[in-house]
Amino acid sequence: MSDFTADDELVLDYLAESREHLGTIEADLLSIELRGANIDESIVNRVFRAAHSIKGGAGFFDLNKIRDLAHKTESVLDLVRSRQMTPNSELVSILLLAFDKLSDLILDYKNSNQADISEFVTALTNLTMASLPQEEKASVDDLVCIQVPGQEKQISVPAFDLKQARRAGKSLYLISCDLIHDVERRGRTPLEVLNSLMDGGTILDALLDLGSAGTLDEEPTNQLVLDIQYATALSRDAIAALLSISSEQVTSLEDSASADTAPPGAEPALVAAVPVPVPVLAPAVEPESPAAPSAAQSSSPAPEATIRVNVQLLDSLMTLAGELVLCRNQLNEAVANKDSRAIAEGAHRVSMVTSELQEGVALTRMQPVGGLFAKFPRLVRELSRELGKEIELKIEGGEVEIDKTLLEGLSDPLTHMIRNAVDHGVETPAKRAAAGKRTTGAIQLRAAHQSGQVVIEITDDGGGLSGEKIAAAAVSKNLIGAEQIKVMSEREKVALIFLPGLSTAAKVSDVSGRGVGMDVVKTNLDKLGGKVEIETAPGKGSTFRIKLPLTLAIIPSLLVSSGGQRFAIPQVSVAELIRIQVAQLEQRIDSAGGAEVLLLRDRLVPLVHLTPATASRGEKALNVVLIDTGQFQYGLVVDNLHDTVEIVVKPLGRHLQGLRDYAGATILGDGQVALILDVGGLAERAELSAESARGTRNVATAEQGSSEELHSLLLFHSAPEEPCAIPIELVRRVERVRASQIQYLGGRRTMQYEAASLPLVTLRDVAESRELAHSQQWVVIVFERDGRPLGLLAAEPVDMLETRLSMDAVTLRQTGVAGSMILNGHATLMLDIFELADKLMPPEKRESAMESRFVERRSGAVLVAEDSDFFRHQIQRALEAVGYRVLSAEDGQAGWELLDRCADQVSVVVTDIEMPRLDGLSLTRRIRADARFARLPVIALSSLAGEEEIARGVDAGVTEYQVKLDRDRLLESVDRLASIELAVSPEFARLTRT
Amino acid sequence: MTTPQQNLQSVLALQGNIVAAEVPQLRVQFRALVEGGAPHLVLDLSQVRMVDSMGIGLLISLHNTLKKSGRQLSVIHVSKDILDLFRTMRMHTHFSISGD
Repeated sequence: MSDFTADDELVLDYLAESREHLGTIEADLLSIELRGANIDESIVNRVFRAAHSIKGGAGFFDLNKIRDLAHKTESVLDLVRSRQMTPNSELVSILLLAFDKLSDLILDYKNSNQADISEFVTALTNLTMASLPQEEKASVDDLVCIQVPGQEKQISVPAFDLKQARRAGKSLYLISCDLIHDVERRGRTPLEVLNSLMDGGTILDALLDLGSAGTLDEEPTNQLVLDIQYATALSRDAIAALLSISSEQVTSLEDSASADTAPPGAEPALVAAVPVPVPVLAPAVEPESPAAPSAAQSSSPAPEATIRVNVQLLDSLMTLAGELVLCRNQLNEAVANKDSRAIAEGAHRVSMVTSELQEGVALTRMQPVGGLFAKFPRLVRELSRELGKEIELKIEGGEVEIDKTLLEGLSDPLTHMIRNAVDHGVETPAKRAAAGKRTTGAIQLRAAHQSGQVVIEITDDGGGLSGEKIAAAAVSKNLIGAEQIKVMSEREKVALIFLPGLSTAAKVSDVSGRGVGMDVVKTNLDKLGGKVEIETAPGKGSTFRIKLPLTLAIIPSLLVSSGGQRFAIPQVSVAELIRIQVAQLEQRIDSAGGAEVLLLRDRLVPLVHLTPATASRGEKALNVVLIDTGQFQYGLVVDNLHDTVEIVVKPLGRHLQGLRDYAGATILGDGQVALILDVGGLAERAELSAESARGTRNVATAEQGSSEELHSLLLFHSAPEEPCAIPIELVRRVERVRASQIQYLGGRRTMQYEAASLPLVTLRDVAESRELAHSQQWVVIVFERDGRPLGLLAAEPVDMLETRLSMDAVTLRQTGVAGSMILNGHATLMLDIFELADKLMPPEKRESAMESRFVERRSGAVLVAEDSDFFRHQIQRALEAVGYRVLSAEDGQAGWELLDRCADQVSVVVTDIEMPRLDGLSLTRRIRADARFARLPVIALSSLAGEEEIARGVDAGVTEYQVKLDRDRLLESVDRLASIELAVSPEFARLTRT
Repeated sequence: MTTPQQNLQSVLALQGNIVAAEVPQLRVQFRALVEGGAPHLVLDLSQVRMVDSMGIGLLISLHNTLKKSGRQLSVIHVSKDILDLFRTMRMHTHFSISGD
């Protein structure tokens, strides 16, 4: 066996190196899992190399078990790297456990050769076996049988599809839809139904009940059942609503299909799994032993024996040490010569060098928090699986450095708070779906320097904390008197969570909720001199903010002076520097409610004067530092602005610690002291708060609210120097043409296009405009109008532009021109292509087709909520042109008020998504929440509707999505929904007619 | 309607859509075709633009009828939309379906 000795340096080096490798592997494996088939080779390579070097060293030292295990992981990774295997969560789980075991073995390397690694080796071997090429193919065809809950039947799903869907965070449903009753009789076609399903998810498989169709000799069938296996992020009710079927026809297969995430004791329903038997490895689920959390969960890691230090820093320490030696020599000489002046000089130098050295040494203790954060992805992954939740953890600011002591002290509280967020914060997917949220919860872990402090935030988008519940729990446990509660603010009630012995979790899990917790967090943080704040909004989530003093942080800061003193403002808080000339003072600075405000572009920001001296107004230019506290902004008026320098933060003496205005002090290059401003504290002193500042900001945004949404425009010229624009959604294609391709037939211009004749219009045909010049390169912009192509003759340059629409619908308005906008510095005509088309297409041609529509249509009105004037007018005109009465509203709130007033007249609602005050989805939810409108069809308009957006819309109760400005489809959709609505609810129809 | 009789298969080129309104009439045509006795029936859908639920029911009835006597159904020249629909509903696992 091995002939190494414990203190053999080579072994120790190898072990240290291996530990370092293992430290990064976890994060890498998780990101491999996240990327799925979309493999990032550099990450896989990194893990592969780590496994490889562990194996190499182990071979050298005869650590056979370590070598074998590393070798097995290496083979699996090799398959992943060569794309013969797709990393899924099962594979990553096995790898994670294998690397855990490797860590254990390396920790106890002397006994590692006696360890039992067989289960890991088997699991890894099975993984590699499974992906042998011929079987690889088979695994794509592999079927997983799933028992349909509450029914006799079993269905089989391709294992591959199932995994793909899982990876995308979707759930599996079985939809049983009768093509005759649920589709035909409701005036829909199977194609429509399937398309709407495919918009919201993926159809994995479908099965027609052939028998129910009978034969030709039998009576015509009145039932034809289609079973659809459907993977989607939608909830069961949302699917039912999407298909207008009852929710009994939709069965969730999730509880049974996800045996791996199912709680222990639940019947495993994967009847025949993939051919690879995956052994259930160690920590999976052992509810009886609460002491069996996985490695990642054991929160206090043994203190590290070594740390890494930047070589440059080490060099500078070395230089300082050299300097110190020189000082000593000089001092010795001076003492020998009894030269008192030289002694004093020497002493001064020694003290300078010493303090530099002290700082340098302290810096070696600064470590990035990323190392601590790295263990949380796995913690979240495993906890959320155990609890059957879907959670995404986002980490920011891993590079922020804090003192090693603080870092170690933070480990426990942070772990606890992350667990809390997973366990209590984020709700179960079902609850989230019911609340109209994304089923996947999000937890954000963020570190940042802020005003000389390190701020670590743990934010979840879960249910939030309820002050009432916490207070009630505290009273029921006799932790506080009922009388005291009455005078407490909501914020104070939430803070009761820090009382020892309080737990609001409905059930105590082994994860959290034992009643020891937040108080321990608080005690730990108190020890570190930190504090924790809670922000919470019921239903929306909570943020726990830990603020730690940064006794030794080095932060870039802006130096300013005021009243003859210099101050440092942490650069992170500085958003902008503004100088206001004397001449502008009057216009830019205003008084609002007794406080000064600065007009900054399109909004107002409150002003705070650093020293009263600068308050004398109107004589000299003002220097304003725009401060961003993270929650709001304000302008700080100072006398002078200086450089940005890196400063070392020193704590204030005890006698000054009560001052909220200062976060600390620093010593500047010239030896003078400057105070570091606490931007939050200053604002508090000036009685600014997030609320009031937000108020002023909202005023500003409401004013320009209508133009928030970005629209893509196609820019082109008609006559030379006559820029025009139209929304890109209307354009089918743009083609270059030569003048010779254009024919004049019957007084109209046409050209050959897709083997048919394409009618052409120019702006000049309808509006006052000049003729196209032959010197221009002509283009034809093809539109669709009533299902037929129509060309607009225009000229290059053709360009695309994404912009906010702020159209002037008055000045240049004429037939065919909806208005004008300033784009790229030119006044540009916004064309109204439908008006143009109306001019060209003789109205009588469409009359007959329209007449019949008219009759059915007159009954109800259409409510249009859209914030952009341009689009609202377009939609209104399009609907009115075919006989609808249109009630238009400039945002969701106005739409709701209008709907509320005219409840019995509206038969369809058409709404934009992005709107100020009340957006389209909130409007829809409000409509759905009102019994009067339960069946009112809502069409959501969007420029780009992704699958996820559609899913959110459907969750909110949207009946259909239509692309903005696809006029024909919109009309078709309004027609259909208006008539269905009438058909479905005759009572309602009667109401709308009276 | 054209039904050129070949040795083993009869081809029926449908002239309209396979929708509820047409189903009774198509049912009669299909029956006649089945009674023709060819072991392989081919439906040419090149003129068909729409198929609704009743239409799908009818096609399956035809398939069921043929299957009972061990005969085969093929559907050819199916337009893209309809082809997608049939495939999504996995009808191609029951009888042969091919596009343009």
